[in-house]
Amino acid sequence: MSRVVVLGSGVSGHTAAAFLRKWLGRGDTVTVVSPKDHYNWIPSNIWVGVGLMRPDQVTFPLRPVYERAGIAFVHGAARAIHPEGDRADATPYVMVEPTAAPGTRVKVPYDYLINATGPRLRFDRTPGLGPDGFSHSVCTEDHAVHAARAFDESVQRMRKGERQQFVVGVGHGTCTCEGAAFEYIVNLEFELRARGVRDKADITWLTNEYELGDFGMGGMHFRTGGYVQPSSAFNASLFAERGIRWVTRAHTTAVERGRAHYETVDGTQGELPFDFAMLLPPFSGVGLTALDRDGADITARLFQPNEFMKVDADYAAKPYEQWRARDWPRTYQSPAYRNIFAAGIAFAPPHAISKPYQTPSGAAVAPAPPRTGMPSAMIGKAVAASIVDMIRGADGPTHTASMAEMGAACVASAGANPFTGTAASMTVFPIIPDHERYPEYGRDLDRTFGEIGLAGHWIKILLHHLFLYKARLRPGWSLIPE
Amino acid sequence: MPTPTPHVATPTRWTLFLRTFIPWQLWRFAMINLRMLGIIRSSHH
Repeated sequence: MSRVVVLGSGVSGHTAAAFLRKWLGRGDTVTVVSPKDHYNWIPSNIWVGVGLMRPDQVTFPLRPVYERAGIAFVHGAARAIHPEGDRADATPYVMVEPTAAPGTRVKVPYDYLINATGPRLRFDRTPGLGPDGFSHSVCTEDHAVHAARAFDESVQRMRKGERQQFVVGVGHGTCTCEGAAFEYIVNLEFELRARGVRDKADITWLTNEYELGDFGMGGMHFRTGGYVQPSSAFNASLFAERGIRWVTRAHTTAVERGRAHYETVDGTQGELPFDFAMLLPPFSGVGLTALDRDGADITARLFQPNEFMKVDADYAAKPYEQWRARDWPRTYQSPAYRNIFAAGIAFAPPHAISKPYQTPSGAAVAPAPPRTGMPSAMIGKAVAASIVDMIRGADGPTHTASMAEMGAACVASAGANPFTGTAASMTVFPIIPDHERYPEYGRDLDRTFGEIGLAGHWIKILLHHLFLYKARLRPGWSLIPE
Repeated sequence: MPTPTPHVATPTRWTLFLRTFIPWQLWRFAMINLRMLGIIRSSHH
């Protein structure tokens, strides 16, 4: 009998747990440890954030799903990993703080561990950033609900004749998820038009991207109209068409009531007044610690300084120009302990995909690599398959899911209406540019494309329902691709 | 960087029309789904 413990119930952890349960025998146990007892389909939070969906349309309770599937659930936050057990017992375990009893700890033993804890939202890295400060977020369904309320208040003021300033983007030079903020700003603009108040709105995109359309993945190139066009042109066109202004290459230095301050790579110190701001935070790992058998701190053996977990990647420090696609991990196994894996946002990327810059004052303007739903789910599934094989006698991981060898399909909503809405449908292959295989653009242009239209919105709606169906582990769920 | 909108390509009326023209979008719906399925298939190892 083997015990597999999954930390986290987001896209990656939930996918891993579901496949483990499907593939392992009933004598083996699968346990999910998570401080959240409900699943949130985060890509649809942008629609909650403009008031088009209720939170219960993007979430569902996990306990009944896990009970039906035969997955044990521990409602609590993992605090420390003890990969060698302790002096009394060499069985590895995770120390968990139960949500129902804050301050206490319970041991959850494991034979195999998947760290899929996702990110910690670091609003604290920029003074005044976030729902406890002066800006909004759509990172969680609760944040999105608050954003929707504030957005609605702005619309009411505009209906009374007031002019409103909107600032949307990222709240720090090292943020990731520019794609989610991009979806939010174009949906916000679409909604203002739908509500008949667009003429009273000034909308500005504030981003750490060196060029528009970078999305933390060094941008993309598409074949279109007889040209190979960069995604910067695609995004600039989309913004210009919608009357959205932009500030690129920026590190947001502070947010105060009604004003966002920034510094750009060329040293410009600027500020943007706002009535409503949605600025995403930078991420770090969740701050797990690791202790050896004697209780000595071995956190640095398992984790990078940014609190994400080290896996089978090449973490050697080298100049940006020397980074290679093969530096990226393939099996997601910890080099320190063969029975520990990290999946989804929890693994430490070996380097940035987008070229990092600095402002003259030394602030990093370096978009972090995105790890969106599709790769996160595929990594979770590959890790689950490897663990199943290792339980059955394999010497090591048998499945790989390198982001340098997989593509991603992404649909960015640009307005939610079944007849007048649009979305940007994009595919990239591979996610991590491979300039050895594809010297010119780093990606296969036959498999990298972008297009905007109503069909994209239909696909976005389809994916919303399909992935929530799959996550609920309804009949046939495993037939739906990641 | 300041917003250089005068230097940006913008869609023609025909392009805008096609973006929400249902018959064309039904065709694109099928084609984009096929493309995405191809990406998914080639990404699983």
